[in-house]
Amino acid sequence: MSAELATLVDYWFGDLPPDREGAFEEHLFGCVECTEKLQELVALGAAVRNAWRAGAVRAVISHALFDAMKKEGLRLREYPMVPGGSVNCTIAASDDFVVSRLSAPLAGVRRVDLVTDAGRFEDVPFDAATGEVLMCPAPAPLKRRGAFTHRVRLMAVEGTGERLLGEYTFEHAPS
Amino acid sequence: MQDAALARAIAEAGSDIDAAAEAELCRRFAPRVRLYGLRHLRDRQAAADLVQQVLMMTLERLRAGKLRDPERLASFVLGTCRMVCMDQRRGAARRQGLLEEWVVPEEAVEDAEPRVFERERLAACLEALSERERSVVIASFFEENSIEKLSLSPGNVRVIRHRALGKLRACMEAA
Repeated sequence: MSAELATLVDYWFGDLPPDREGAFEEHLFGCVECTEKLQELVALGAAVRNAWRAGAVRAVISHALFDAMKKEGLRLREYPMVPGGSVNCTIAASDDFVVSRLSAPLAGVRRVDLVTDAGRFEDVPFDAATGEVLMCPAPAPLKRRGAFTHRVRLMAVEGTGERLLGEYTFEHAPS
Repeated sequence: MQDAALARAIAEAGSDIDAAAEAELCRRFAPRVRLYGLRHLRDRQAAADLVQQVLMMTLERLRAGKLRDPERLASFVLGTCRMVCMDQRRGAARRQGLLEEWVVPEEAVEDAEPRVFERERLAACLEALSERERSVVIASFFEENSIEKLSLSPGNVRVIRHRALGKLRACMEAA
């Protein structure tokens, strides 16, 4: 990323110090190229937001985003899970998202990997304070799938080793 | 035509109105004012209102020959943006009088057609990001304040955001 684009990103997300923000705005108002680049960044952001809302993307999300999605009125089907737990689950046509709330002993953990039948996802976001990992599969493809069993393991990665934090089983059936 | 020449043309026409110069000024500055509004007000409608109001005030000042230094047209427009946003926060209502008195050509201030990003490609590019990068990008664009509880410091979020957006742009441009 060029320094110029980094500055545009910092400006857009309010990460510039006030004095630099003022000076950058002076520059921006006289710069056609920067205006076009910022317009493109804003358009990319809108596309990301729309792709997320449309259920085209999977992610492990923060509690703050989870709360923001609820506040926006998105319909979230939640599955709270404890280590060793199994659940019969589904996604309805009217659901916007399914959120699997995987509880685990996360205090003191520095890195968590999420291991599924589909592969290993390294260094996923987690909230040690609430002791949860919020897994959000892409809703659009999930709605098209038939019945299947999905196993998920959370692994704490420490130095050269790792230890199992929890294993969770999802028995998915179409709605 | 340079900004200063544009400002002079509008000022010299005065009440006779140089429609072409005014339309050009609106086309040139509307995107910058809109971006300023989106950045500071975080609301599409409020940003659209800001565009109307700032351009009306700028034309008013130019037609009256009250812009002392035409070379500083961009600075004047930026200063007007800042003042109107402050006024909005204070609840001042100068807008209605201006709306009755001045007409800014709508086609000049309408949203430019934003760049369209192909959703499947975007989803694939988001999938190619690391778990934390994807989470930060989605949270950043969905809800500004939703990235606080990712077990990340603001500095870390900023670094991850820069890296992720750099990768995302490169991936989309490679399509």
